[in-house]
Amino acid sequence: MGTALSVLLSAVGFGLITSAVLAIAAVGFTLQFAVTDVLNLAFAAVMTAGAFIAYLANQAGVPIWGAVVAAMAAGGLLSAALNYLVYSPFQRRGAAPITLVIVSLGMALIVEFGTAAIVGGVNVSYSMSQGRTIRLGGLILTTVQLTIIAISLVVMAGVHGLLRYTKLGKAMRATAANRMLARSCGIRAGQVIAITWTLTGALCGLAGAVFAIDVGSFNPSSTDIFLILILAAVFLGGPGNAYGAMLGALVIGLATEVSAAYIDPDYKYVVAFVALLAMLAVRPTGLLGART
Amino acid sequence: MYYLIILLVYAAVDAIACLGLSQQFGVAGVTNFGFIIFQAAGAYVAAVLALPHDTADGGFQTYLGGFNLPFPLPWLGAAVVGGLLALPFTFLVGRRLRGDFAAVGLLVTAVLLNLLVMNYRPLFNGDAGVSLVPAPLQSGMFVGTSNGYQIGFGVAGLVMVVAVYWFLRRITESPYGRTLRAMRDNDKVADSLGKNLLALRTGAMVTGGAIAGLSGAVLVSFIGVWSPAAWSYAETIVLFTAVIIGGAGNHVGAVLGAVLVPVGFEEITRLISNNNPSLPPNLLPSLQWVAIGLLIVVFLWLRPQGVLPERKRVIRPAPAADQAVTESAPAARPGRLRPAAAAESEVLLAAEGVSKDFGGVHAVAGVSLSVARGTMTGLIGPNGAGKSTLLSLLAGTEKVSAGRISYAGQDITALPAYRRARLGLVRTFQLASEFKRLTVTENLLSAVPGHRGDSFTGALLGRRYWRGDETAAIDRAQALIEEFGLSAQANDYAGELSGGQRRLVEIMRALMTEPDLLLLDEPMAGVHPELARRIGRALAGLSQQGLTILMVEHELAIMDEFCDPVIVMAEGRVLAEGTMAQLRDRSEVVEAYLVG
Amino acid sequence: MSGETPMAETSIAQPILVATGVTAGYGGDPVIRDISVRVGAGQVVSVVGPNGSGKSTLLKAIVGLLRVSAGQVRMDGRDVTNALPEQLARAGVGYVPQVDDVFAPLTVRENLEMGGYLLPRGELAGRIEHVITVFPRLGGMLRRPAGKLSGGERKMLAMGRVLMLAPAVFLLDEPTASLAPAIARSLLEQQVASLAEAGAAVLIVEQRARAVLAVSDFTYVLGGGQLRMSGTPAELSASPAFVVSFLGGPPMSSQRA
Repeated sequence: MGTALSVLLSAVGFGLITSAVLAIAAVGFTLQFAVTDVLNLAFAAVMTAGAFIAYLANQAGVPIWGAVVAAMAAGGLLSAALNYLVYSPFQRRGAAPITLVIVSLGMALIVEFGTAAIVGGVNVSYSMSQGRTIRLGGLILTTVQLTIIAISLVVMAGVHGLLRYTKLGKAMRATAANRMLARSCGIRAGQVIAITWTLTGALCGLAGAVFAIDVGSFNPSSTDIFLILILAAVFLGGPGNAYGAMLGALVIGLATEVSAAYIDPDYKYVVAFVALLAMLAVRPTGLLGART
Repeated sequence: MYYLIILLVYAAVDAIACLGLSQQFGVAGVTNFGFIIFQAAGAYVAAVLALPHDTADGGFQTYLGGFNLPFPLPWLGAAVVGGLLALPFTFLVGRRLRGDFAAVGLLVTAVLLNLLVMNYRPLFNGDAGVSLVPAPLQSGMFVGTSNGYQIGFGVAGLVMVVAVYWFLRRITESPYGRTLRAMRDNDKVADSLGKNLLALRTGAMVTGGAIAGLSGAVLVSFIGVWSPAAWSYAETIVLFTAVIIGGAGNHVGAVLGAVLVPVGFEEITRLISNNNPSLPPNLLPSLQWVAIGLLIVVFLWLRPQGVLPERKRVIRPAPAADQAVTESAPAARPGRLRPAAAAESEVLLAAEGVSKDFGGVHAVAGVSLSVARGTMTGLIGPNGAGKSTLLSLLAGTEKVSAGRISYAGQDITALPAYRRARLGLVRTFQLASEFKRLTVTENLLSAVPGHRGDSFTGALLGRRYWRGDETAAIDRAQALIEEFGLSAQANDYAGELSGGQRRLVEIMRALMTEPDLLLLDEPMAGVHPELARRIGRALAGLSQQGLTILMVEHELAIMDEFCDPVIVMAEGRVLAEGTMAQLRDRSEVVEAYLVG
Repeated sequence: MSGETPMAETSIAQPILVATGVTAGYGGDPVIRDISVRVGAGQVVSVVGPNGSGKSTLLKAIVGLLRVSAGQVRMDGRDVTNALPEQLARAGVGYVPQVDDVFAPLTVRENLEMGGYLLPRGELAGRIEHVITVFPRLGGMLRRPAGKLSGGERKMLAMGRVLMLAPAVFLLDEPTASLAPAIARSLLEQQVASLAEAGAAVLIVEQRARAVLAVSDFTYVLGGGQLRMSGTPAELSASPAFVVSFLGGPPMSSQRA
């Protein structure tokens, strides 16, 4: 195998893992926005909080994949609380979307630096084995990396199943499409929204934990840049569109990592940046159109 | 002493930055989450303009240029670059992108530019940043200067705050500033009144950018170093917090916020950590950020208008002598075309085969009609007949799918709404569209066309330059307000009025544009019948003075009393035209109404 | 339909939905004042009137989308004034708004499932079958997104969605708006009529007065936010005041034809 090809293949491998992590986060973010109408910029901070809960559980002796479940629980609880205590009161008062964005930035600071105040600003790592190395064609991946990709695929399938085949998922889509009409059908929209916060919050916590596993060592501010990737994936696919977010995550993950193989890796995020701004400028509804 | 100077300079820098942000966010309604980029650009530019060309000092830092320019060129350059840098960003805020999406775009830009500058060393020495930036008029850094120099620098900082405040006040308190606030409250309506939103937003971005650039220049001259760590996107949030707490749109509030938040916080943190050296090093900065987040949320909940809310601009009636003159003058002299002796029958507005499709539905299907000068023409028809859509096509709010529209003999089919408004073709909207946080009088004044003070340069030339126009406009506005019976509310915020009163404000505002043709979309909807008749009488009076009116209205009694001719639409087409009495006798009209 | 037989208001013997003296608006002055309407099982009762007469406002007030500032709405004797939309759905009120009446991104089947949201899981399929027998056109397009339907199909879906819960009362807000005349007529004469024949009470607000009168048992005429007249279609058609109430003339007091 030529060197050029192996460079490309290893970049694709990295890209797939980034895409896998990104897809979990982006789908959570976009569903949250679709159903609840909050462009929640505190999402990345909640990811970190989840990752640290997993770290604490891990330190206390819980195996890593059990700790990941703790992160999901933490993300779900924290997001539901954010909605109940902050966003929902603002929305009931009729706050403008831009006000909610500013509020969510404030919550991002509180969650991110609240975490930092509690755990300290240092880098930490989970105690876990990276597993064996496996060759798949030209791709070289560890079993942990494969597990992350598998988790992401399961989550995507799960989200698809939820949205298409369950009563709750359909009620979520109905609420996103037309909240008033949903209520006229007897759907308790407030409940659906609260459940959506919990579910997407769990995805957020999961994304935080697998992000932390993927990068190896992390601190409370590690997800700052990742938020940009999430936003890029979400806007690329069309804000509010879950399938768009999956596609966007795949494109952004591959584009950043593959470009990193050819240009200075420090600039790999520029690709995401250009993609996002181009979408906002040319087609704000994204590739697949807005809403699910 | 040195400590006080430090405080003073930091306060000045933050105050200048907050003033710029308050202008963008509070006055113009542009949420610039990338504000810190402009301060950073100013700081870098001032640094490389002042630094010597030899990148030397042992080559420990590299930077673009190194121009060794004397003061004040680095500061001026910083302001100019800050302003110019705003231009590429206007594509995000200038177009009709949802405000929160645009804000996200700007936030992302701020984060990624920081990342780029951090990693690209040749530009501004990357991660480490530029250092050894000389203080103004000195060869070395600020740290080594004399006491007298430092005091002088502090005073200079204060003078700059005052200068920026004065500059912004000149803009904000001018008719141009009023237009910015109108755009903030309702951009679509400002557009329909002939305001160029792109130019206004660009102006706000460039002004704020230049001021931010200047603040960066002062800061870098003082601290002597500038690196990406100094301008993380979170610094923008600090400035936003300051402006929100101080009072968005109130420039004194912005200065107060700057002192309370960035400066106050630094000091509290420093005091606490000095007294408790055993605290973990990371704890206080973290808690500081948490506190800033809390302040944002708590203030937006409890006191969204800030400590010092935006001031209400109360406009008192002119002195008695002036008033005597205005009372004898007509309330509104309609007409900009003003052909002294236009024939009654002359067609002012004509539509030929105008159509509009919305995704396969023919909302308007081949409508041809003409409106004669000086008439008060009614447009009626059952729901869904396409009346409002037709009005939007005539006003330019929507583009036609087919057909041709001419106005005063000119083909205006391709003209955007604001250009048509400038020709005297002005519309009102069906839904409430007042500028909520402008007073009734200000709402009217915001619509005056060709006001000398309603431009950036006009505003800068000062009150003396535009006072004549303003006085005349105020006289006209007050006469109109009196005629429509709203004098008691003249200085109330329009957002606080009742539904019917808001409709009045909207009609009066449209009249202030001196239209030749007024397109009214259900002006009496939701208005008390008594008030509706008063509106009708006032409009009829204006029509007699030469104003042409095309009015959609479903209250047929109003049509009976005031409109001739009346055009009936049904299913996107014109069905009949005549007086109401004639129309009632025509079976197709009766059927249209009963069959729908 | 019993349009031939004159029918006094009191002949609505067992009214299911009764609104009494309803006054409501959008926050400022009330848009409708002191309006009373009632509808009984198996009846089509229509509310007609020119643009802006307050027809839709009345319906929105009844279904809890607007605040009722005075008056009362009763369902089966229970007070449901200012109840939440989801509570009214549970109480047996099926509301079809004039616009935004379907979940556009959801398929036809999913729209029907949302209509049957309150049903036990086992009954859903059977109910969908039933709705398709009432609106056979929907049967062939179950997998199509609702946003891609034509105007007439869309309105049938909106009514079918409400039919899923077999509500005691249907409230239809101008179902024929933006439909071509022929489609509008068939919608009223077939689908709307069949709802009543199946035993439901139908309160329908309509712009197309002639067409809706043909299928109504009783009709209220609104004007300027107030009740102008009411009566059976035969009574109203015979009254010269009826036309005047649409195209204006001397002001009318609230009167029966």
